[in-house]
Amino acid sequence: MIARVFTDAIGTTIFSARKSAPRHHLGRSGTMTTFLEEPIAAAPSSTALRARVPGYLAATALASTSVIVGLLWDISWHRTIGRDRFLTPAHLAIYLGGLVGGLASGARVLKTTFAGCPEERAASVGFWGFRGPLGAWLCIWGSFAMLTSAPFDNWWHNAYGLDVEILSPPHTVLGLGMIAIEMGAMLLVLAHQNRAGGASSALGWLYVYCAGIALLMAATIAWEYTGFPNMMHSALFYKVSAAAFPLFMIGPARAAAIRSPVTAIAAVYTGLTLAMMWILQLFPATPLLGPIYNPVGHMQPPTFPLLLVVPAVALDLLLERLGGRSKWRLAAALGVTFVLSLLVVQWFFAEFLLSPAARNFVFAADHWNYGSRLGPWRYEYWNLDRDGAGRWSGARFALGIVWAMAVATVTSRVGLGWGAWMARVRR
Amino acid sequence: MTAAPAGIGRRKATATALGLALAIGSWWGTSRAHVGSPDTWFEGPAGRYPVRVVVRAPGVVPGLAEIDVRVLAGRPTRVAVQPFIWNGGADAAPPPENARPVRGDPRLFDAHLWFMVASSYAVHVTVSGDRGAGKAIVPVQVVATRRLPMSPALGGLLAALGLFLLAGLLTFLGAAAGEGVLPPGEPIDASHRRLARVVVTVSAAILALALAGGRQWWNAVDRAYRQNLNRPLHAAATLLARAPAPVLGIAIDDPEWMGRRWTPLIPDHGKLMHLFLIREPGLDAMAHLHPLMRDSSHFESPLPLLPAGHYRVYADVVHESGFARTLVASLDLRPGGGAATPSEASGDTPGADPDDSWYVGEPEGDRGADPSCLLRDGATIEWVRGPEPLVAGRDRPLRFVVRDSDGRPAPLEPYLGMPAHAVVTRVDGSVFAHLHPIGTVSPASQMALTLRTPADTVPGSLARRLAGMGSMGAMGDPAAGPPGEFAIPYGFPSPGRYRLWVQVRLRGAVETGVFDAYVSPTAGNRISRPLISSPALRR
Repeated sequence: MIARVFTDAIGTTIFSARKSAPRHHLGRSGTMTTFLEEPIAAAPSSTALRARVPGYLAATALASTSVIVGLLWDISWHRTIGRDRFLTPAHLAIYLGGLVGGLASGARVLKTTFAGCPEERAASVGFWGFRGPLGAWLCIWGSFAMLTSAPFDNWWHNAYGLDVEILSPPHTVLGLGMIAIEMGAMLLVLAHQNRAGGASSALGWLYVYCAGIALLMAATIAWEYTGFPNMMHSALFYKVSAAAFPLFMIGPARAAAIRSPVTAIAAVYTGLTLAMMWILQLFPATPLLGPIYNPVGHMQPPTFPLLLVVPAVALDLLLERLGGRSKWRLAAALGVTFVLSLLVVQWFFAEFLLSPAARNFVFAADHWNYGSRLGPWRYEYWNLDRDGAGRWSGARFALGIVWAMAVATVTSRVGLGWGAWMARVRR
Repeated sequence: MTAAPAGIGRRKATATALGLALAIGSWWGTSRAHVGSPDTWFEGPAGRYPVRVVVRAPGVVPGLAEIDVRVLAGRPTRVAVQPFIWNGGADAAPPPENARPVRGDPRLFDAHLWFMVASSYAVHVTVSGDRGAGKAIVPVQVVATRRLPMSPALGGLLAALGLFLLAGLLTFLGAAAGEGVLPPGEPIDASHRRLARVVVTVSAAILALALAGGRQWWNAVDRAYRQNLNRPLHAAATLLARAPAPVLGIAIDDPEWMGRRWTPLIPDHGKLMHLFLIREPGLDAMAHLHPLMRDSSHFESPLPLLPAGHYRVYADVVHESGFARTLVASLDLRPGGGAATPSEASGDTPGADPDDSWYVGEPEGDRGADPSCLLRDGATIEWVRGPEPLVAGRDRPLRFVVRDSDGRPAPLEPYLGMPAHAVVTRVDGSVFAHLHPIGTVSPASQMALTLRTPADTVPGSLARRLAGMGSMGAMGDPAAGPPGEFAIPYGFPSPGRYRLWVQVRLRGAVETGVFDAYVSPTAGNRISRPLISSPALRR
């Protein structure tokens, strides 16, 4: 009667199914098992569905890209030009993403509800009398959240001043909307991928791409604490990283249909960040607001991406070899490995990024916003773990790292649970 | 004003680098010149163009100020505005912003300027046209003065959208836990339905907690913002026992003053402090005094012969940064405790500053809308109000004509370097402003911002240089306009009943004219575009 998916930790999949409907199930390491049963009349052939990426999936993936590109562009805009208005290119990119994601999903819902073929209706969930894919509802919700944030943010600026804080309540609503667009796009692709049963590698890669965007979004939110090499000798950097990254690396990876999914997701994050970092630097721009203490001449790029690829490789190896352990044991292994591997690579890479050798186009170090009063703080480590006498304390740092491992264990466990759920999503 | 910050902390540097237009600049002060009158009004020359400039304060920081520039003579082709922070140097200023001509009024230009940090600024107004290019420097103090309340309509809209989003999110989570994980086409069974309910219930509880946390967060932001809103620094006014008579002591006892490192005070019109006493509730007595500084927080002044009663006390000072502020206190004068007896009321005050002046007369309201006020020796001062009612926020200069006993225009002598001084207060005390024909700006602020050089990095160096230049108030030329006439650019900030004291010097004596006015609420656009002051008053 029901196709049961039991996903073990290393990627073998066990299915049981009844001969009543097409069933495509995904194995953890890319192993797929497909149960094709009696075809649904008048439905497009399963092969046709599997072979192509539907237009609305491409549209929502594009919307997700537009949102994250717009966000990074907007941050660069504020660091470089400063003067804000609604119709900046960066804002347009963000809202275009919201609009496209919402409209594409809305159109999908309307079609499924009123003109959907049986297969489309079967692969949907009910929502206030309408039917549509799970991810489409999240995209629509994200669009409404972004829409809601606009009058709220406008009032906030009038009441308290423009962006008196990075994370204000209206920005949180906007951020939740953006995250929903990205997660919705990911879920839409995920459901197709899970139903396709591995027949479409395009879907598998599109899913990983969407997951990479979600990871980049998490990194952007945490950027104030994790983006600067000056922070990377502080335990705080590792605690925040432990809170932000394992969840978005392990969770989506557990539902991916390709090999080494954590590494692939981290590679997408790295590639997108590098692309934005290199492209933005190419555009000349000058500040339009004052006071200008740092007269920049081009768009300020994001900082060099974290070397998450290294922990990602370690996590992939662990997931392949220790998948049979209990979830908490596995989570502990993943969390400890994540923090230790990140510590090894970022500790030394931070030293490089703070050196003159990194102050070039490729590594884009030492870029600060137009309002920064430049000083020696640029090349110093911040938030170091110090004792009562003000000296760096190895013991305090080590204690902070232990805390980071504990945090990473929890987020890894949540990621494993989230991933198990995502592996089952087929609507 | 505070001195320049020692450096940027790392936490601050991080936030700065994030660059989301944060209000992370140093908080330069929490009070400014005048009380309840946040806009800046200026009239003066920009080269060969007389201009009147209104800077409508954003009220929040960072915020967008509206700037209106009215070029009173000449044929301007371009007007640009550019904000210079007091200690940033020329390189710290953003590019000039071209003001757009206002349709239907070739003399009026408007622009918007962002002020990103609370501080003292010099707004450079550059005019180009048939008379070449000219520049006026307008001191502007930017502080947060208000918090916009949320309208019920917007509140209702946001609440409705919030509920919609909450309901949508819970529905999504229920679907994600129930139908979402079922194979396509399979109807939801009891176990998944139950699971969905559990997920929705738990999620609702979590969301409720998140909302409560969000409310706490919002309240904390609001509380912190309100605490940092602009407010006049508190001072204590007391009578100090001195021989042969008690003197008025002003002690600046506000923690903001005590806890900060301010730039030194500089003299404005040659005085470090301008002190105003206004008796309430009748507003029938006003004194304009100039206390001497005893130390950085204490000033003293001989007390003139004023009637007993409760007095509002306002003290204007200017910092080397160009930041002008008004301190607020109160004082009770009792018979035998500093108040004058009726027989003393016209006597002199021993040891008083020669520029001290005071007025005792009719209570507020008794004068009605009488435009003329009798001065000594038969001279009069007339407020040329015109037929239109006064409207809050409207650009409409206060025009006055002083005539001698024969009705001829009386030549005005400089009083504290200005052709005239005016004190404006709302009856309830919510507005107090000390005005001149150059507007609400302090001449000392203008001097400090004009003469500051990159070499003035040590607090006090500019003040010493300015002091060495002699009187710092001689920015206005009483002889520039028609004899006996002057205009003060100003817009009453809010509707209500006001009293004005206008002071001029005639034949060596300071004369005070008193006027009452009712200011109507703003109707429609608060910026008055078509009003141009009389050609006779253009300088």
